[in-house]
Amino acid sequence: MNLAGNANAALYASMIVYTLAMLAFTWHLAARAPKVADSRVADREEVLVGAAAGSGEDQRARPVSPYAAGAGYEESLKSRQRGSIALMLTYLASALLAASVLMRGLAVSRPPWGNMFEFATAAAAAVGVVYSLIARRKRWEWLGVFIVAPILLVLGLSLTVLYTESGELMPALKSYWLGIHVSVAFIAVAFFTIAAAIGALYLVRRRREDKPVKATFIESLPSSAALERAAYSINMVGFILWTFTLIAGAIWAKQAWGAYWQWDPKEVWTFVIWVVYAAYMHGRATAGVDHRRSMYIALGGYVCVIINFTLVNLVSTFVGMHNYSGM
Amino acid sequence: MTTGTPTKKAAKALKQQERQERRDREPVLPELGALGMLRWGWRQLTSMRTALFLLLLLAIAAVPGSIFPQRNIDAGRVADYIAQNPTSSPWLDRFGFFDVYSSPWFSAIYLLLFVSLVGCIVPRTRVHLAALRARPPRAPARLRRLDESAELTTTLTSEEAMQVAREVLRGKRFRVHSHDATSVSAESGYLRETGNLLFHLALTGIIVGMAVGHLFGWRGDVILPEGEKIAASAGTFNTWSPGPWVSDESLPPFVLSLTKLHVAFEEAPGKDFGKPRGFTAEARLSPAPGAPAADESISVNHPASVDGADIFLLGNGYTPVITVRDAKGTVLYREATPFLPQDPNYRSVGVVKVPSASPKQLGFTGFFLPTAEPTFKNGPVSLFPDAQNPELALSVWEGDLFPGNRPQSVYTLNTDEMKQVTGTDGTPELVRLKLGETKQLPGGRGSISFDSVKRFAGLSVRTDPGAPVSLVSALLATGGLILGLTIKRRRVFVRVRPASAAAGPGPGGPAGPGGSGGSGDEAVGAEGAPATVVTIGGLSKDSDPGLAAIVAAVHDRLAERNDRS
Repeated sequence: MNLAGNANAALYASMIVYTLAMLAFTWHLAARAPKVADSRVADREEVLVGAAAGSGEDQRARPVSPYAAGAGYEESLKSRQRGSIALMLTYLASALLAASVLMRGLAVSRPPWGNMFEFATAAAAAVGVVYSLIARRKRWEWLGVFIVAPILLVLGLSLTVLYTESGELMPALKSYWLGIHVSVAFIAVAFFTIAAAIGALYLVRRRREDKPVKATFIESLPSSAALERAAYSINMVGFILWTFTLIAGAIWAKQAWGAYWQWDPKEVWTFVIWVVYAAYMHGRATAGVDHRRSMYIALGGYVCVIINFTLVNLVSTFVGMHNYSGM
Repeated sequence: MTTGTPTKKAAKALKQQERQERRDREPVLPELGALGMLRWGWRQLTSMRTALFLLLLLAIAAVPGSIFPQRNIDAGRVADYIAQNPTSSPWLDRFGFFDVYSSPWFSAIYLLLFVSLVGCIVPRTRVHLAALRARPPRAPARLRRLDESAELTTTLTSEEAMQVAREVLRGKRFRVHSHDATSVSAESGYLRETGNLLFHLALTGIIVGMAVGHLFGWRGDVILPEGEKIAASAGTFNTWSPGPWVSDESLPPFVLSLTKLHVAFEEAPGKDFGKPRGFTAEARLSPAPGAPAADESISVNHPASVDGADIFLLGNGYTPVITVRDAKGTVLYREATPFLPQDPNYRSVGVVKVPSASPKQLGFTGFFLPTAEPTFKNGPVSLFPDAQNPELALSVWEGDLFPGNRPQSVYTLNTDEMKQVTGTDGTPELVRLKLGETKQLPGGRGSISFDSVKRFAGLSVRTDPGAPVSLVSALLATGGLILGLTIKRRRVFVRVRPASAAAGPGPGGPAGPGGSGGSGDEAVGAEGAPATVVTIGGLSKDSDPGLAAIVAAVHDRLAERNDRS
């Protein structure tokens, strides 16, 4: 049986299902938008009534869960149904993608992340799986399109630009640390990706809270404070995993190259990413630093993640010892 | 144009006036004095904002080191870069762009960062130690104003209600204390700050480990052909780089001989043709001269170790055995000569120096091709990294090999004082030798033969006594980071008052996040039973979705006990 062939078939199948999921998520957002316009009116009336009653203390109504949809927004049955369909499609697509990664691993009898194509695919699968695991519980259907679209983009690019036949590894990569260091790295990237998507939405939501314009689906999202907290929590997980990536990489480097830290370009950028996210964590913890500013730092960190994977691997300026993947 | 001028002038005057006014309004700063300035500077340096700024600066400063070639990684590439960019590179060099990570500006940033870090953790440790011994603070006056709150009326006495609250909070690992008879204060999450401090302290541990490694570590690199051996001493290494506080005697006196170097390259045609698949050095290692030797297998990712030093296989290549004879047939040179690989197919360059040749010294420089492309129509090219059709292609030079007796590399030929030997037709002579061949040199200069070919292993012997310090610190830092980020510092307060006093302001409202409340609220002392109003308030230092659950747990347990009694 041709496992590698099946892995590719599963990959194409997952792309088709992800495309459907993306359409369904968009369809879901379309159902959210007009509903917002109604609930905003209702919202305002409620506030006025409350003010008249004069009991100031209990007006600080909080959503039941900080991650639930924004206060005053009631999701319609239509939008809920569409969201469920989109989520089901995402589960299916993520399962197909994870199966594709697994089959490729079995086909080559090693962890299936030994070159750029495999890393990109595995990272996309991790994004899909992590999102699938949290989306239902947190009711994050609104995030779907911003997760699935990047997954499709990465899968498309990795198939067209980075595709490599499954093959044997370079001697330097033949170590169980490949399974540890690289897998933690792409899971961290998955968390950073989801957090970056939420972070960008937070900035938009926040700006529109300050200067309200015509209501769109953005107003149906959780409050900007809730979005910010969600992005922070997920970035936090990513940051802890990235710390581990850095340490595991150093241990492996000591074994393979004889020194745990040599300022190889990949090491430099891994360090830069760590420092930028550390700055984000600091900014977040510092009283008086606007959360928006911290979020810009986090998004800057995500740009570094992208540079680390693309430019540092592909541009010859950054020649270093990590350049052995044959792309 | 002209019409615009008067208004512009007026605007300018207005602006100047405004500026003057602003200057007048500015507060007069008190004189700080030297000590005050120092204290002010220290405060600035150790503030979170400065740390944030320094972190971002560190990230930016690290980037040039990945763009420009670095001397500590590859001095050869730096030399090439300088040769190719003669105008910009002296300036880049002056500002340390080829040694970024030891440059003054990079060092300044991370040293400031660490001073700021220490200046931050020392006072915070003191505060935290005091907090660890302290009792939870007094309950604030209006608990309903806190982040999370709940209220219920119960038939329990105030003493019973407080006892229930204490039990619940103790069960949730809160530290509990009552400052007076009507309130309970509880606090948890001390590990958050402990983790934070541990993380920052451990970061300094990593730096200490790096410094120890730099001062006490050493490395020696050697090119060892098959069948040869080295007795370790500073002189036997091709390069020996000890740390500043390392004496040459600290090198363990091991003896290492290379029996064979096994290599494997991808032979199946396709994209991966010629890719390396495995390198293993079969060696014999004894810890000291005369001591019994043991078989060792050293491969990539699997170093050998001896007396606290590790032996890594970092490179490999070919050492053709070359013999040079004079016209009478006397052997002037016979050595396994290492040729350093230049590309993935191991086209290698090397030099043969024959100082004993006469009348003039002879030098050969050129290529070793493990699988030579026979026509040479694109110059000397190797088609495959394994030695399937080995060939040497050398140009011949004569003259002074060591002008001025200056030290020089064994891998380059200094041709300043040398002349290229030409053939009978006047073109520069190129000697091409297949395995086992001998060629006569033009003009009766003797002969050169390519006797055999052996592989060499590029071995690096290293020790880094700071590495364990850094590793343990890094793991502690990760542990501290997880504690500091995931644990929440929470305070929960409970206050009781008799129900009769409850007919105060407000209609009571919904009974908090538990949702199960409300049932008890309206039944205030219905049958005149002793009733107590319990208010629960929770406070967290950061956004904390879990706080509501804790307040609800206290509320629910009180409601439950109320039902039971």
